[in-house]
Amino acid sequence: MRNPLIRRIPREIVSDWHKYLVIIVFMVVMIGVISGMYVGHDSMLASIDAGRTELNLEDGCFELSSRASKELLSGICSGEMADVRQYYIDKGMKEADKKIKESLKDIPEFMKAGDEYRKSVEDAYRDARAEVIKAVDEEWDKIAARYELDDDGFFPVAVSVYEHFYRDETEDSNSDGIADGTVRIYKSDSQIDRAAFIQGRAPEGIGEIAIDRKHADNAGITVGDTITVGSRKLQVVGLLSYVNYLTLHQNNTDMMFDSFGFDVGMVTPESFDKFSSRVHYSYSWKYQEAPSDKIEKADHSECFLKALISQTLVNDNELKDYIPEYLRQASNFAPSDIEGDSVGTTILCYILIAVIAFIFAVTISNTIDREASVIGTLRASGYSRTELVVHYMSMPALVTIIGAAIGNALGYTAFKDVAVNLYYNSYSLPPCSVVWSRAALIKTTVIPLVLMFLINLIVITRKLQLSPLRFLRHDLGRSKKTKARRLPAWSFLRRFRLRVLLQNLPNYAILIFGVIFIELMLCFAFGLPDSLTNYGDRAPDMIFADYQYMLMGSRDKNNELIQTSEPSAESFSAKTLMYPKSGESMFEGRGSGGDEKINVYGIRKNSAYISLEGEQKDGDVYVSSAFSSKFALAVGDEISLHEEYENRTYSFTVAGIVDYDGGMAVFMDKDAFNRVFGMEQDEFSGFFSRHEITDIDEQYIATVITTEDIAKVTVQLMHSLGGFLSVFKYALVVLSMALIYLLAKIIIEKNENPISMSKILGFRNGEIASLYMLPTGIVVTVCALIGFVAGFYIMKVVFKAFILSMDGYFPFYMKPSSMVLAVVYLLIGYALVSVIDYRRIRKIPMDVALKNVD
Amino acid sequence: MSDSFLEIKDLKKSYGTGEARQDVLRGMNFSVKKGEFCVLLGPSGSGKSTLLNIIGAIDTPDSGYVSIDGDKLEDMNESQLTMYRRRHLGYVFQMYNLIPNLNVKENIEVGAYLSDSPLDVEEVITTLGLQEHKYKYPNQLSGGQQQRVSIGRAVVKNPDILMCDEPTGALDYKTSKEILALIEDCNRKYGSTVIMVTHNEAIKYMADHVIKLRDGIVRSSETNSSRLPASELEW
Repeated sequence: MRNPLIRRIPREIVSDWHKYLVIIVFMVVMIGVISGMYVGHDSMLASIDAGRTELNLEDGCFELSSRASKELLSGICSGEMADVRQYYIDKGMKEADKKIKESLKDIPEFMKAGDEYRKSVEDAYRDARAEVIKAVDEEWDKIAARYELDDDGFFPVAVSVYEHFYRDETEDSNSDGIADGTVRIYKSDSQIDRAAFIQGRAPEGIGEIAIDRKHADNAGITVGDTITVGSRKLQVVGLLSYVNYLTLHQNNTDMMFDSFGFDVGMVTPESFDKFSSRVHYSYSWKYQEAPSDKIEKADHSECFLKALISQTLVNDNELKDYIPEYLRQASNFAPSDIEGDSVGTTILCYILIAVIAFIFAVTISNTIDREASVIGTLRASGYSRTELVVHYMSMPALVTIIGAAIGNALGYTAFKDVAVNLYYNSYSLPPCSVVWSRAALIKTTVIPLVLMFLINLIVITRKLQLSPLRFLRHDLGRSKKTKARRLPAWSFLRRFRLRVLLQNLPNYAILIFGVIFIELMLCFAFGLPDSLTNYGDRAPDMIFADYQYMLMGSRDKNNELIQTSEPSAESFSAKTLMYPKSGESMFEGRGSGGDEKINVYGIRKNSAYISLEGEQKDGDVYVSSAFSSKFALAVGDEISLHEEYENRTYSFTVAGIVDYDGGMAVFMDKDAFNRVFGMEQDEFSGFFSRHEITDIDEQYIATVITTEDIAKVTVQLMHSLGGFLSVFKYALVVLSMALIYLLAKIIIEKNENPISMSKILGFRNGEIASLYMLPTGIVVTVCALIGFVAGFYIMKVVFKAFILSMDGYFPFYMKPSSMVLAVVYLLIGYALVSVIDYRRIRKIPMDVALKNVD
Repeated sequence: MSDSFLEIKDLKKSYGTGEARQDVLRGMNFSVKKGEFCVLLGPSGSGKSTLLNIIGAIDTPDSGYVSIDGDKLEDMNESQLTMYRRRHLGYVFQMYNLIPNLNVKENIEVGAYLSDSPLDVEEVITTLGLQEHKYKYPNQLSGGQQQRVSIGRAVVKNPDILMCDEPTGALDYKTSKEILALIEDCNRKYGSTVIMVTHNEAIKYMADHVIKLRDGIVRSSETNSSRLPASELEW
């Protein structure tokens, strides 16, 4: 026979549908939004990954001053280093021979006969050759040292090389005669770094072009429009996303991309040839055997570069630019940024899982209290504990499964699109195809289900430990009944209200916990955007030099130290190392691989920009306040930093903390820096300056960081995360309302009997409401304030824990107005719930008290 | 007693400690034969409900024992006690404790589900006169009707012992007599041993065996050779 108790489940859901609807809505919104974010996030990353293979992403690219000869291409493809020394010797010999021959021209013929002449000529050749070899050897030693061409670790890296020429033309998007930016055009028949089409098609005719989708959006260009490229009018026939231009970085050294002023486009080879601007002889390469990890990528790239330099040299060409793909901003910025975006989702997910756990614990505990006599009877009749545990667990399980199913369905459809569109608003991404997200399933479905299962199991099992008799007697509490407290001689109604408040203290304790959760959610909803904005506002002030010039090296072509006449300029040394997060990272995959990037600066003594006070011993460093706050570093702590692409680690002692919240940085004496990192004493990496430096050739400058760049970064951060935050904010306000509804409902439900009795005694609904709702109102208001303080500090801790998962650091911050709003929103929510509560009180029939007296 | 089905021996039970200690059962001894209709009679505080709870294995004695058909409850562990309740007992409470979101038939099926040899649910419904109410929910029934359902839930298990704790305590005179008649029917028809706790002196006339309790001890244990039908009881 089927257990007849099963039939209770659908009826329970129908009879208490508002409660279950609210729980299901809560689950659906929570699971839907978070799952959507994860699915969108994972799908986007998977689509980018798939594109890398399908669209044949390069392993790197280089540019030559002229088109490569067949010999050069074959040399490059072999990956072997050319014999540069021999090349110069041969070249020198030729020149020497030529000179000797020319000098011998003027010698009269009669003098050429004879042994003396022959001997002299032989001596001249021998001396000249010896001179050439000596000169080449001297020069070679310098070049080999500079480019590390004599490195024993060199191994040939065979590659395939593809022509990937481009031209940079002006773009006039509205054909008003004024150039709006630059468009980099490629040929449509390229076999490497191909494009995915979001709309339209590839160009087929000479007058057609396809351009980047994100740039088109920003510039208001649609398929069918005509734009002016260079001096030619072309019709836009497609919107695309190049696999190597997910963000529109014009130069790899650009700190931020520019999808307004820079564009990439595709034209037919015939159309390409009709442009007049300079052809950039860019070549892309792919390794014959792909490197397996970051370190191998770096090793391959280093060896390939040596081969490339030597081959270019011996083939009389010139290397203009070299970018291995793993360092390419335009193809790596978006995925690593998208990867970090899930931090907010993860924080929210864990907060909501805790809230869900709380709701289940409260709901099931409440259900068991209400059904005490039924449980007692069933136990007395012979129902085993296990049967009752299964019975009481099936209801929340069903609700969770329904919520999870609908939530997941919405997560993979509507909410996924919201997330993906947020990414499309920021980057030039390929079309996104949905992938199954393990993270979404685990975090939004498996964890809540397991949590629901465990919490219910624990609560129900613990409660059912009581004897059937105690259930029959409704004796479910642990403590014995306390004596009634004497109340002050207030008016009857005031005393009644106080009595209601005192009698409901256990219920209010639940309410306090609930309100703390609500405030935690609201602190997240308001605090996260505030923290970002605050960081953005403060960032420009946090930069320690108005201009920070990073140079390609400290010497120019002539091996002279680069200098400037700018009086405020101060040289510094710098390099990037990694700080291990030792398992604190939430993420795996691209980007920093979970370790934190730390900028290590070597600062001159008595620097005008960074003050390192006190004597420093060898191995002493100062850390930025951001670095110290993020990893709780204190003076005296030992830190180990390692190279990102090499197996080399450096250990330092924290000697002090520099008040700098703008980045993860370590500062040390410049001399010590140069010693530790094997640089010459006079070498350096760049200049700090208060004013723009104009007398350094641009070819020697790698990057310039100004306050504007810092502002751009934070604007971009807000642009990327802003959409997420709005979605979170509205979802959390809805969830807060749902939670306060459930909590207030518990108070009224538990007081149904006395409310019913009050009605029998002749109290009016208004009076009853003032007796039962006013104390709750007071408690909610007080709880809102206490809950906010608790929520704020819990959020600070939670935020700090989760910021470890992402690169960089910014502290949790809430504007005073947001603090007020976090409390006000809760009170507005409660005011709305009070209206529902009042209606609920009016509906409580009088026979509740008469029929349920045990 | 060789033919006794239920045997109570030196049963003691107290609540509280020190000055607050209250001896509820102070050494009780009696036995009940199989199929007997036994009434435990006594005023409030005499220990009759505590005794019933101990017999029903939902409470435990401090000392002494309860033996059913030769099996001592004190020798049973938690799950064996559950099985004992499941197989041998049917419970009728003063408050009916019906499951609010199951209808009459389903509430009775809850009892049937627990039994290895349940009675026919429809037949029990007919016997209890609940045929026209069988699809109603408890809140659509009067107190008497709810108590009938409660009896049905206990009887349908075909229990060896039907435990009734003041089954008419919350009912009026007429309904009480109807309920008593039903319990009497069940006793005769299905042969269940009935142990009924009551403070109503009149009910003793329908019993085979009347045990009077006062202050936690058995004051008298009498057999009744001429039982009156419930319908003829007056109080």
